[in-house]
Amino acid sequence: MQAAALPRPEDRLERRVVAYWMLGDTLTSVILTGLAWFVGRPQLAKHWDGFTPTLEYVLLGACLGILLLGLATPPLAFARWRYGFLGDLLLMRYGILFVEERAVPVRRMQHVDLVRGPIERLFGLATLVVFTAGNEGSAFRVPGLRVARAQELRDRIVEARGDGRL
Amino acid sequence: MTDASDPGPASAPLVPVPPPLPAAAPDATTPAATPAPQAAVLARGHLHPAILLVRLLESMQQAVLPVVAGVLLSNVWLLAFGGVMFLLRLGYAVARYLTLEFTLTADELRVREGLLERQERRIPLDRIQDLGFESSLLRRALGLAVVLVETASGTGAEAKLDALSRPAAEHLREVLLAARLAATARIAAAASAPTDPAAADGTAATPPPPPAPPAPEPEWTVHRATAGELMLRGVTDMRLSAFFVTGYAAWEIADHLGAASRLAGTANSVRDWLLQFSPAMVALILCGLLAVVMLFGIVTSTLGNLVTFHGFVLLLRGDVLQRRYGLLTTRQKTLPRARIQRVTLEQTWLRRLLGLCAMKADSAGGSRTDGAEVAGGWDVVLPLAAMPTAQSLLPAVLPGLEREQFDWRRGSVRLVVRTGVQGALLAALVIPPLWVQAGSVALLALLLMPAFALLGVLVWRNLGFALGNEFLTLQHGIIGRTIAYVPTTKVQAVVVRQGPVGQLLGLADLTVYVAGGSPTRLPDLVLSDAKALGAAIAERAALAANHSW
Repeated sequence: MQAAALPRPEDRLERRVVAYWMLGDTLTSVILTGLAWFVGRPQLAKHWDGFTPTLEYVLLGACLGILLLGLATPPLAFARWRYGFLGDLLLMRYGILFVEERAVPVRRMQHVDLVRGPIERLFGLATLVVFTAGNEGSAFRVPGLRVARAQELRDRIVEARGDGRL
Repeated sequence: MTDASDPGPASAPLVPVPPPLPAAAPDATTPAATPAPQAAVLARGHLHPAILLVRLLESMQQAVLPVVAGVLLSNVWLLAFGGVMFLLRLGYAVARYLTLEFTLTADELRVREGLLERQERRIPLDRIQDLGFESSLLRRALGLAVVLVETASGTGAEAKLDALSRPAAEHLREVLLAARLAATARIAAAASAPTDPAAADGTAATPPPPPAPPAPEPEWTVHRATAGELMLRGVTDMRLSAFFVTGYAAWEIADHLGAASRLAGTANSVRDWLLQFSPAMVALILCGLLAVVMLFGIVTSTLGNLVTFHGFVLLLRGDVLQRRYGLLTTRQKTLPRARIQRVTLEQTWLRRLLGLCAMKADSAGGSRTDGAEVAGGWDVVLPLAAMPTAQSLLPAVLPGLEREQFDWRRGSVRLVVRTGVQGALLAALVIPPLWVQAGSVALLALLLMPAFALLGVLVWRNLGFALGNEFLTLQHGIIGRTIAYVPTTKVQAVVVRQGPVGQLLGLADLTVYVAGGSPTRLPDLVLSDAKALGAAIAERAALAANHSW
């Protein structure tokens, strides 16, 4: 068994992705906490006798926590994200609580997608999605790339596979 | 594509030109209406007319319920509904029978069908994983077989020819296998041609080798399951869950029929009847009932296994494994060895005690999760065999395994700490609310810690892995055990993952993905081990991918 681990990938995502993630996370958490606070709380107070002021504070804390989490995770996630090519392998390393390191042989990739959502387009970002032949966990995503960079990566993958298929 | 073009080691003779194959028409032949533009047609045919009889019976079966209800209730609308349904189904079947035509060329299998909406499905030969046969009792009586064409899409059969006559189906498979051999050989030849300088120059005096027709390969029986083995498989098949599911379904039906209240009444009277006995007697009666239920489960699963796997034979012809089995519905399933992504030896705890195991194979054509049963036993290579027998048969399924020297290694003992910590966390979550409710009884939840630690010990004791030259092997389980063998050349991706507790303890999971779904997971390795192993596997996979492309 070889003892050497793969070298760590070096490339980082675009810094803009932090703002994009924050926007997305904040939107969802605002909707979620808004629902909980302005719809859930009156309902609970009305129909449940055991709903004490203490519980109300707990709920408030949870809502604020979710809001803060939406702001705090994107910079951390950005700081952790690395990707890169090592010969014929595409490497990715990311995650805050659950750290994952992924290695995908370029020639095993079935097809490569560039995905750009509406907000992503506003930020001028793109997500590279590569698919292997597995059913479960067969899509590998690299988010937060400049469009030109994403296209360059895609072309590199297509070229490395050598048959010009997408 | 993963391995669509890698020829099996022994299968592909390097012939540059496909050998001439006999054109044949299995069923009613049509004078070539649409000749294929580039490739010669090897076989062309229609469904067997006897399928109309099957469809007629099926349509009648469908229509019988509304018709009977209509007669009983003297309701004209129900009768009309039954009649229309019968006609619609039969009409659809007739239209399908009249329009369906399949064509096999040297490159692809084409299936055309449809009256109003014509569709043509083209499946390239090198994408076809398997050609399976299945015939129910009725179809068998009529000498018919359903042909299932499977590709790597992972969604089961890509195309279904329901049904051909038995000889026609066999013939189609023969021609298809031969054509695929030729196609892979052609690809291999095309790949090697530019690198061969002599061939490129054209100056070499050596004449091209004559195209040798692929000789019909001898068949040899790898394993024939005995009735005893199949009985054992049924007896050790602890599938009580199936029983519960049936019970629940029965309850649902009873509920719909308005019998639930009556059942509840019965239950009450049963309880009253039980209360007249002493508690010991009640326990005895309940145990007896449980035993009867279990016995019922065992008997049904034994019968089920005997019926499904009756006369199971595993054959090897050239590089293609073939399985034939079934009493009522007979199945015949081919499995090219080159398509095998992973082989597992699975032991439930009872089978482990008895030293028995079942062998299953994942091909790129279908997927399953560990331990899950696939309907019809499509993935079963050996229904049940003694462990040494199964081990000795492994190289027949995974050639090259006999050369491996596995240097087995264990997981990290820190695994036990991890599960212990998880138990503690769970206890910490559970105790406060319980304390509010029930007081100090909540401290019983502390037992979660030793329980989880014990689980960790069991998992650790069963965990082992080894990386040989061509194969990765993994053994895992809690009470039962599964041993998995993965050819490193088939690996699609490698993932090293650390959870929060894993980060504290320096542990990581390694997951190896192959085509067709079921990932192989090596839990709780020391981080450096996981990374080194992952790197080694990924490098080998990349190397193999470069060769087989």
